[in-house]
Amino acid sequence: MLAYIIRRFLIWVPSVLLVMLGVYALAFYGAGDPIKLIFLRAPGDVAYDPVKIEAIREQAGLNRPFLVQFGSYIWNLLQGNFGNSLFSGRSVWAMISAAAPVSFLLGLCSIILTAVVAIPLGMLAGLKQNSRLDYIILGTAVTLWAIPAYVAGPLLMVLLLVVLPEGSMPYGWGGLFSVKIILPLIVLSFQPIALILRQTRAAVIEVMSEDYVRTARAKGVPELVVALRHILRPVLTPVVTQLGLIMITIVNGAIFVELVFGLPGLGRLTVQALINSDFPVILAITLIGSFLVMASNLLVDLLYPLLDPRAADAKGAR
Amino acid sequence: MTMIDTDDRPSGLWRDAWRRLRRNRLAVAGLFIIFGVVLVAVIGPWLSPYDFLSQNLDVRNQPPSASHWLGTDDLGRDVLARLMFGARTAFLVAIGVTVTAVFIGVSLGAVAGFFGGPFDRFVMWFTDITMSVPQLLLVVVINASLKQPISQWMEARYIETLNPIYRNSTLIDFVLVFGSMALISWPAYARLVRAQVLSVRNRPYVTAARALGLTNRIILTRYVLPNAMGPLIVAVSAGLGTAMVLESAFSFLGVGVTPPTPSWGNMISDGLRVWTNYPHLLVAPAAVLAVVTVAFNFLGDGLNDALNPKGQK
Repeated sequence: MLAYIIRRFLIWVPSVLLVMLGVYALAFYGAGDPIKLIFLRAPGDVAYDPVKIEAIREQAGLNRPFLVQFGSYIWNLLQGNFGNSLFSGRSVWAMISAAAPVSFLLGLCSIILTAVVAIPLGMLAGLKQNSRLDYIILGTAVTLWAIPAYVAGPLLMVLLLVVLPEGSMPYGWGGLFSVKIILPLIVLSFQPIALILRQTRAAVIEVMSEDYVRTARAKGVPELVVALRHILRPVLTPVVTQLGLIMITIVNGAIFVELVFGLPGLGRLTVQALINSDFPVILAITLIGSFLVMASNLLVDLLYPLLDPRAADAKGAR
Repeated sequence: MTMIDTDDRPSGLWRDAWRRLRRNRLAVAGLFIIFGVVLVAVIGPWLSPYDFLSQNLDVRNQPPSASHWLGTDDLGRDVLARLMFGARTAFLVAIGVTVTAVFIGVSLGAVAGFFGGPFDRFVMWFTDITMSVPQLLLVVVINASLKQPISQWMEARYIETLNPIYRNSTLIDFVLVFGSMALISWPAYARLVRAQVLSVRNRPYVTAARALGLTNRIILTRYVLPNAMGPLIVAVSAGLGTAMVLESAFSFLGVGVTPPTPSWGNMISDGLRVWTNYPHLLVAPAAVLAVVTVAFNFLGDGLNDALNPKGQK
């Protein structure tokens, strides 16, 4: 088991480094001269004075070769230093740690909501396969899956505008226990719920034809106990492996949800950075987002053998 | 089944699939909607009496009426005309992105699966990595960093050749959107094709073809790849829908197709700014996008059931 963990980890580290290298290279070669970008906005004619520019470049270490700069960027990252914003001059780490709690809480609540809603509904649909209830649940799931957050959010807002009294529209951030979080949370959870629901349903249908389920039923075990004790556990295994995919949907969705509902999270920070071509911020957020997804993929890889011992044997043999 | 099949023409894979698809009412509805939108995308601009760019400041922000069926926007442009041109943008991007991504994905996946070895491991490692980066962030980075170099290169070409096509900002947008979206979409196709190739490359008929002395290229293109067609078609139909949604998503964020070229995404983001006063500017593009994406999903599910009957149980 330990050997397996170490091996997975040894594959994982170069992958993360490659992502960092790719993103850094794009910003390095594509973004244009960072010194010019800073001083074009600053007062004075520094941007057009080659001697001064060179001096600043020398001082900031921006005339070193690409790989050296990349190395020092990584070194600074490990120390929690993400550099400074080109636009506001503030530390990128400070900007991110101000915005991250909003996105983090939203994402966490969305995962919990997804698990609470999708797994029971998916089991229900799977147990009653091809019934009218199954079609209704599945049809809703397909529809929710298809409609992107920046369409569902505004449409819901327009609908609510008709129902709610003037001026009570949920907009902005009021903390976790404020009413304002309900609508963004629901919209953010649409796609993950649809994903997990379909996954659960498919897994239930597969498990139901297993011998031990038929045996339990033949022995007269009550249907509810069969569902909870014999079916639920094997169903959870493939569902848990979708964690990485859920993280991707949530990271992607959060950008739109935050923009639509005016939440001051990482998504809005990304869009602002994009408008200002603030590369240190874009770079840092992309790295954090990729790291989150890759970390959850690693976690799934490590957890999988614990959930399904058969898989551990198969993987150990490889 | 109690119904006797009176159709006694020979039944091949495609005929069977078509018959199964026709029985799925949701998939047929999806097909009709998509067909309608394609039609509008092709002939739309000739259907509308209004041009999608012409502004008429006397009729700004008008609600839907007999002369402007879906109202007008803040510059007095006809919303319906812009929506119809938006369909053209959406399909151009969807088709361009999918063709590029399928080309990259199928070539890499087929070669990797067929020959195996270190190249296969490298390609699979690379697809894993690409798939584990949140697509939206990757496209944002690609777009933000390549926009300037590409515009500079186009400007240089323009000065060199004086060909006005290099000054077309829509073209730059399209190149960027096609490129960055194709770069994030190919891994799914590569994985799929590789798995299919792996499952048939040691079948007796492939060994027989090899024994006959056929070259690897002929074996790959005539004997191995046709087996991947079914799943590939399902993936492409889903991919077209995804690409369309992605295009509007990026335009919504301001990194895709930029105004004045209408795209459903940038129409939604414009509408979002004024929706409390003029909800029709938001509802019209949002509803169209919602209907089309749902249609693509129903068609994709239907095609999946029709082409992979084994999965249906």
